[in-house]
Amino acid sequence: MATAETASRPSFERRLPIGQIILTVVGVVLAALIGFWLIKNAVESPDRFLEVTLIGITNGSIYALVALGYTLVYGIIELINFAHGDNFMLGTFQTNGIVNDGSFQIPLFPTSFVLALPLGAAATASSSPGQKIYTIFMCLFFSMLFCMVINVSIERIGYKPLRNQPRLVPLITAIGFSFILQDVGLVWKDAGPQPLPNILPTGTIFHWRGATYQWNDFIVIAVTIPLLVALTYLVRRTRSGKAMRATAQDMDAASMMGINVDRTISFTFALGGALAGAAGAIYALYIGVSKFDLGFRLGLFAFTAAVLGGIGNLSGAVLGGVVLGLIQAYTEGFWDARWTTTVIFSVLIAILVFRPSGLLGEQVPEGQ
Amino acid sequence: MSNQASSQAPKAPNKGSSTLSSWRASYRRYRREHKWLGWGIPLAFVVLAFSYPWWGLEGPLSFIFNDGLGIDNDTLFNMSVYVMLALGLNVVVGYAGLLDLGYVAFFALGAYTLGWFGSGLFAQRDVHFLDTNAARLPGIHLSFWVVVLLAGAVCAFAGVLIGWPTLRLRGDYLAIVTLGFGEIIPDIFRNGDDIAGHNLTNGVRGVTQLDRPGFGQTISDATGGILPVRYTSLELRPWYFTVLAMVLIIIFVNLRLRDSKLGRAWIAVREDEIAASAMGVPLMRTKLWAYAIGAIFGGFAGAVYGSFINGIFPVSFSFQISVIVLVMVIVGGMGNIWGVIAGAMLISWLNFRGLDKIGERISDIPGVSSDFSIAKYKFGIFGALLVIMMLFRPEGLIPSSRRRAEFAEGEGQATLYDARA
Amino acid sequence: MADGNGTEKNILEAVQVRKEFGGLIAVNDVDFVIPHGSIVSLIGPNGAGKTTFFNILTGVYKPTSGGVIFEDTPISGLPPHKVTALGMARTFQNIRLFHNMTALENVLVAMHSRLKGGIWSSILGLPRLKREEKEARERAEELLTFSGLPGRGNAYAKNLSYGDQRRLEVARALASGPRLLLLDEPTAGMNPEETANFTDFVAKLREEHDITVLLIEHDMRVVMGISDRVTVLDYGEKIAEGLPKEIQHDERVIEAYLGTAATA
Repeated sequence: MATAETASRPSFERRLPIGQIILTVVGVVLAALIGFWLIKNAVESPDRFLEVTLIGITNGSIYALVALGYTLVYGIIELINFAHGDNFMLGTFQTNGIVNDGSFQIPLFPTSFVLALPLGAAATASSSPGQKIYTIFMCLFFSMLFCMVINVSIERIGYKPLRNQPRLVPLITAIGFSFILQDVGLVWKDAGPQPLPNILPTGTIFHWRGATYQWNDFIVIAVTIPLLVALTYLVRRTRSGKAMRATAQDMDAASMMGINVDRTISFTFALGGALAGAAGAIYALYIGVSKFDLGFRLGLFAFTAAVLGGIGNLSGAVLGGVVLGLIQAYTEGFWDARWTTTVIFSVLIAILVFRPSGLLGEQVPEGQ
Repeated sequence: MSNQASSQAPKAPNKGSSTLSSWRASYRRYRREHKWLGWGIPLAFVVLAFSYPWWGLEGPLSFIFNDGLGIDNDTLFNMSVYVMLALGLNVVVGYAGLLDLGYVAFFALGAYTLGWFGSGLFAQRDVHFLDTNAARLPGIHLSFWVVVLLAGAVCAFAGVLIGWPTLRLRGDYLAIVTLGFGEIIPDIFRNGDDIAGHNLTNGVRGVTQLDRPGFGQTISDATGGILPVRYTSLELRPWYFTVLAMVLIIIFVNLRLRDSKLGRAWIAVREDEIAASAMGVPLMRTKLWAYAIGAIFGGFAGAVYGSFINGIFPVSFSFQISVIVLVMVIVGGMGNIWGVIAGAMLISWLNFRGLDKIGERISDIPGVSSDFSIAKYKFGIFGALLVIMMLFRPEGLIPSSRRRAEFAEGEGQATLYDARA
Repeated sequence: MADGNGTEKNILEAVQVRKEFGGLIAVNDVDFVIPHGSIVSLIGPNGAGKTTFFNILTGVYKPTSGGVIFEDTPISGLPPHKVTALGMARTFQNIRLFHNMTALENVLVAMHSRLKGGIWSSILGLPRLKREEKEARERAEELLTFSGLPGRGNAYAKNLSYGDQRRLEVARALASGPRLLLLDEPTAGMNPEETANFTDFVAKLREEHDITVLLIEHDMRVVMGISDRVTVLDYGEKIAEGLPKEIQHDERVIEAYLGTAATA
């Protein structure tokens, strides 16, 4: 038959991705507009701008802690742990119980009985500094412990048995657990807002014109940063951390290298739970009030942060958390708090549609 | 298509009870031999449904159904609306396999379409078209039936708008994006009383005094009064029949689509997108059709629901509704119309009336405090239901045989732990 | 060379096709033509880029640069379903059947681009549509029989034997009425008898149905036995092209498969 001949046609040029270009242009223009708006606000009322920025960073740290929990779990088993936000909420309730009643409490759901382990940790705004410090540590420790156990239990009961099922199934299970945890909170403490006294150190660290930065704002960062450092150390330097990263990359290969995948996954959930608990403690102490349905919204916001930074990427979760905190602060501070939900979810949608790898994630090549 | 059960190789043993599966096998055999059952059962169901007001609401069995189970007019209507919603979502999730966590957006959009075109919301305007209200009220008042169609159109448009950039995302990302829209759209309605200075939705106050369906004097006289001039809040039977008729239409469309070229395309896309595309199935168009059709049915449901309860408030449209409808589809049996209907009826009844009834029984038990409120446990019960179903019967109570096959070996879809799915 | 008279036309032309994944060059400026009515084999060691090239031809990937022309229509950048609608079909190296659909349904899906019935006619159940569906089913049954699966239409794809699944892959690809058929390692896992049957089958496709065939193959018996021409890829580059006999003795080809020592 005919031998091959090279076609003598003009060679096709490298295709200009028109769609990509338009999107980039639009994105840049949008970013520029928002940047100008921010700068305008910063110039017009610099002290307010500073204040709002600080609020954003402070709230952002809390988001970061929760986002880390989402990203850790997603990174290792590609599951969105819907219940994570509600786990966080239970952490706030635990802290609430410790500060108000002084005991570590275990709600015996579905009954309304609560098992209480007295810790002598009750505190009010007028307690001694020593008592307050003790209480704060108790809150952190026991909330972390509490949420850790919850997270691991959920994994063992609900996610592990479903490893070979289509994606939809564990996702639905996660939603189910989210509802269950919300109900645990509801039965434990009722539907109304649950306040707790402010036992964080008060007093101003510095102020500049109208903006003040106080000790309780600082405490949030002061607690978050060591946690992040500890987490980074754990993930980068320890064997368990290595096992986590290996399993996240390739579960089969990891198990063939002798890594106990089950235990590693549980460990990851434990970590995530601990972070949720820490975040819950900080939130409760700082914001001073909690509610059984807090976890849903905040959880989704934190998930947005995780996606924004790059799901599966730890630094991304932190960056995403802070950025999200800033987005929320600027929206509420300089525009209209009514639209916060829409703004944040629009950010979520925009990222997933235009840049699913987030700010720090890797671009996944096309094709399968 | 002839029944495939006979020519299959033996499947993996069903997780469900073996008596149940042997019953079903013998039922299927019986059905094959007696073809009339294919028509008979749905027909019986339709007859029973239409005649319910006579045997269930009042009449011989009302003590069971109306008093005992609490299936009164309100509950009945509520159940029917949820059947519509579940059937709509079934097209999206059950047929096309698109995970949609924000279906409530279309429910809301349909309702608000009624709020825009069938109420006094825009009192400064005066537009009337086949209006069947008693007086000529201010505002935009189109014929209710036109509004329903309009609701479908608005939702279809929104569905395409939303779906076009997002339906190419993979499973869980799509779920989150739809969830996002499910939150944004009600939020817009909530803040809609002041969008650039205009009141588009009356915000938190909601829209009330909505138009009701009606046929007008001419048609009513022509049918000798069977078709009412306008519906009222006292005479509830026309409402019920209207919703029932809508349900039937939706079932009909579902059935036709399921067995059509598009229905096959949906299954193929669900199974393996790349292969489907290689076989000539246009991915985006196929998914958009599913999403838009689901949206249209959601819109219908929203419009008729808003009219019945005569109040459209943003707070009624929450994530919980998206989840409840999803639960109905999943628990009932994804992709199987009858399963979905059964699931929807069961769960909407439980949610609306059944749990309360059960709660009453429980508080009658000696030892239980008299102010035991089961409402507190609703979240937990639904959550537990979800978890248990997923653990033990993810294919649903009455799945299609295809779906059961899928779940029996967990094949054909990306598993949870796929490294690079 | 494109010839206006039509008899020696190329059904497919790939011009300077290049595909890069980040830093990796999977297909390196490959020129490739398939004369109408021929059977061409594409061979090369594993990882040479053959399946990637297939994916570019069928629209799964967009080439980084270069273009593909099918029957005088430029198709690079078109999504796969449009390419299929234009008359190019493929099978997959790892069988990608719709496992939870029956064999018949698998074939019917592949007819999607040929069936005219739309949504409205489906909902309304117009007689025109019913007729079309009936004819489609009959045609699907014929295809199944033609491909060696007579009467197996109601079996779920996942319950078929490996050999039958391979046959179904081919039947499915044929269902879209292609003029060019791309087969990706169709004889993998077959024994010699099955391979011989398959080779005859491919010949029949060309002789009786005027279908041009492009094969990715590892089985040299098939390649040598049936190809009009063989193209060899290695590391994304075309290193040899010609008659099967010529390729067999080409030094570069031997080196690519067996390493330099073999030629030394």
